[in-house]
Parts: sequence; structure tokens; C-alpha cells
Amino acid sequence: MDERGKTSVKQNEGLEKAPSQIGQDPEERVIRALLDNFSTAVTDFKKLRKGVVRARVERRDLYKACMFLRDNQGFEHLSMISAVEYDSKFEIVYHLTSYQNKLLLELITTTPKEDLSVDSVSSIWEGANWQERESYDLMGVKFNNHPKLERILLPKDFMYHPLRKEFKG
Amino acid sequence: MWINMGPQHPMTHGLWNLRIKVDGETIVDAEPEVGYLHRGIEKLCEDRTYTQIIPITDRLCYGSSLTWSHLYCLTVEDLMGVEVPPRAEYIRVAAIEMQRIASHLMWLAAYAVDLGLMLGFIYGMRDREIFIDILQALSGSRLTYNFPRIGGVAHDVPPNFERDTLRACAFMEKKLDEYEDIYEGSKVFMLRNEGVGLLKKTDAMNLGITGPPLRASGVNYDLRKDMPYSVYPDMDFEVATHKDGDCYARYKVRMDEMRESCKIIRQAVTKMPKGKTRIVAPRNAPVGTGLGRVEDPRGEGVMYVVGDGTDKPYRLKIRSPIFVTVSAAPKMLIGYKVADVVAIMGGLDMCIGETDR
Repeated sequence: MDERGKTSVKQNEGLEKAPSQIGQDPEERVIRALLDNFSTAVTDFKKLRKGVVRARVERRDLYKACMFLRDNQGFEHLSMISAVEYDSKFEIVYHLTSYQNKLLLELITTTPKEDLSVDSVSSIWEGANWQERESYDLMGVKFNNHPKLERILLPKDFMYHPLRKEFKG
Repeated sequence: MWINMGPQHPMTHGLWNLRIKVDGETIVDAEPEVGYLHRGIEKLCEDRTYTQIIPITDRLCYGSSLTWSHLYCLTVEDLMGVEVPPRAEYIRVAAIEMQRIASHLMWLAAYAVDLGLMLGFIYGMRDREIFIDILQALSGSRLTYNFPRIGGVAHDVPPNFERDTLRACAFMEKKLDEYEDIYEGSKVFMLRNEGVGLLKKTDAMNLGITGPPLRASGVNYDLRKDMPYSVYPDMDFEVATHKDGDCYARYKVRMDEMRESCKIIRQAVTKMPKGKTRIVAPRNAPVGTGLGRVEDPRGEGVMYVVGDGTDKPYRLKIRSPIFVTVSAAPKMLIGYKVADVVAIMGGLDMCIGETDR
């Protein structure tokens, strides 16, 4: 583990237990596995409440991290993809569910407004297909390698992305 | 040949379109189209204060509006860090479970008429009235209740609430046996249900299907049990599952769920503590995020709210269970006949209000 990984451990309250206690909770097991495999790409771990963990992931490692989470950590279900617009960036928030470990992982990735694109995870979870299309339709986020990135709720010839902040509610 | 089933079609129960490609009578490809009822609710919420949004979230689903306003209040309470008084939690749970029975009965009625069992329609709609009446006594309206508040519920239960609710539960449990005799005694109903629309367990998980269709495919996962919210940890009930994964299994899971809901209502009403029903929540939310997850009658409902310190949400994202479930329709439809479309899509309990938002 490199230097950055160690600081993440210190920030995390859940891991300030005796070493024998680590690996008892499913939350800590996921944090540990992500730290071991993506020590630089996945940061800012936080246990929000029982069964809910939040982490940030680098945009370029998102696909790899998601693949790892599904195959090695038992996250079989993608609950939700939400795009949130800020002044100069977009945050794409993934909520992943593990049926076997009864966990919810909130994975946040950031993308700048100039290059508004993230890798599509619809080949990992097929349920992501329409949710990514919805984010593209309403927010204009591009999902690379998506099988069919078209408008879904609005007409095909619609010219704007109406959930952006330039439109008033 | 491509056939459009919809947007106006007896099968659709709302405005959406199902394009199917047929080879003779067999479906070889399918493509659902949604969006006819898109109202931009997520954007509407950004220009309203937190309290003003509660009636809007009621309009998400006409079949089970209480679940959605409850989910919204749950999400904002998570953002604001508001504790709800115990009595309010019990009233909410009793009301949500009554809403679940009412929603399932509406599905059962519509499903029966889809499959040519008109008797089931009349019975289902008639007995739904009993729960609608109790909810009307509780909140004042029949379809969109506007009952939960951030930090509690709008007001206390009406007089004789416990007596009426317990009576309704006892009545419903007897009626459910009668329904099962009627439905499963019908040869047509069974022929059109058994072995139709098979969905494997691994497919169901990967496609993001939640709720009764997921449990009908053999996954034992219910948010009320596995990631409990409100006072569900105090309740004693079973999760209804079935291992077959066909239309009959989905029907059976919903029937069993109604029985379990009766159990929960009975416990919630008898265990209800005395005390306040509402606390005053702050007007402005802090900077941060809130997350709420509930087991909607149709699947997993999630809301994610971002607060920016003002009295209006910066962003509210709504996850609709049917929006994801209907995207999996091709997997269930391909290989079956055109006549099976009605049973397969009807068995998903679609509600277009929340699909299109």
C-alpha cells in the first residue's frame, strides 16, 4: 500500500479498531478490498450508517472498479445512477447494492464540463442501460461504449438537456 | 414484422408503447418506448421549497402515492438529520402497508381483466375500497394523500382507527383465500400464467429488476427486512418469495405479500405508542446529501437529494422501479407468443406516472 492509501485509512473512522476486529463488518471488508486493489483511484471512504458506505472513484478507473465490485465483492445490482451539475463539473453518483452482504455503496465520480463523459457500466449491469440513457437525455452526460445512447423520455429531435441548471424549475 | 402495441392499447394501462418484432406468432425482438407522461418532476422540485414538494411526489404514482411522499420525507429527514417521533413512525407504517394492499388489489383487478376474468376486476376494485376508506378517514383524500410531513405525519389517527383497521385486516385475510380459489380455479388464468415469461435468477439481478418480480425469481431480498427503515425491525413478518420466476410466481408473491401486510398493519396498530405525531423541521437544509430507500409495492424506490443550504433542494433524483423493470421486458418476451405479451407485461404491475416522472 502506498502513502495515499494509508492516509485514507486514517481518515476513516470505521477502521480505527483493533486489527483483529477488521474484516468483521461487511462495510469494512469492502473498504479493505477497495484499498488493497485501488489504493490511488478510490478515496474518501466514509461509513454513512449501518450498511451504507460512500467512496469517491477516479473517472478513468470507474469501469475497472465496478467490474471488481461486481465479480469480487458481490454487488449484483445497480440501484441508481444520478448526475448532479455543479459550476464547473458534474458528479455522477452510482448506488450499488449487494444482495448477499446487504450493503449499499455510494460511488461518486467527477467529470469536468468540457469533457462530459464517463465509461458506460451497462455491460456490467444491464439494468444501467436505460438509466444512462436517461442521464444523457436530461443532463447531457455522454457514456462511452454505450450500446444505444439515444434520448428516452424526450422526443428524438429535442435540442436541449432540460435538467441542467441553465433552465429554471 | 414490427407491431406497435400502444400507446393506446388495452394492454398498456397508461401511455407507453411496446414495439414487438414477430416471426409468425413468435416474438423475436421487443422494444419498449416510454416518455409520453414525462412531466419533469425532478426539475419542478428544484424551484419549490422542501414542504411544497410533498404533494408533487404524491403525483409520481397514482397506484401508491403514499409510498412516494413517505420516501421523499424519509430522504429529506436523512438530509436534515430530523428524528421522527415513534408514534408517527407507527402511523406511517400502518398507512404504507394499507397502501400496499390497495396497490396490489388494483394490480390484481387489472390483471384479471387482462386475462379475461372480469369477476376478478369487480372483486378487486370492491375490496380495495375498504382500505381507501380507511386512508380517507386518516388523511382526507382517496388517491393522493399528502399525509406524511418532514418530521412526522400531518395529524393523528381518527377515532376508531384501530377497530376499523383490525376489522379490515380480518376481512382481507378471508377474502384473499377466496381470491385464490377464484383465480387458480380458472383454467384459462392458469394456462396463461404457468411457465410464461420465465426470468432466471441471475438475469433478474443483473437487469436491475426489483420488488415482487425479483422475489418471484427466487431472490430473498426485501428492503423492509434486509435494510430496514422506519420501525420495520420491530415488526414480525416473512418475505414472500417463489422460485419459479414465471407470471404465476409473480402473482403468488403479490398475494402472499398482501397477507404479510395484514400482519404488519395489525402489529403496527396494536403496538402504537402514545405521544407526539410531528416535530417541526427546519426550513433550510444543510449542505450535503440525503438518501432514502423504500420497498415500494413495485420495487425499490430510491431518492437522492442534494442540499445547498437554502430552503430548496439543489437536485432531487428519483429512481423509479418500473423504469428499470420495463427495460428488461425483451428478456422476458422473446420466444413467447404475441398472446403472452398481455400476461407478461401485466404481471409487472406497471405505473406510468413514476416511470416517466
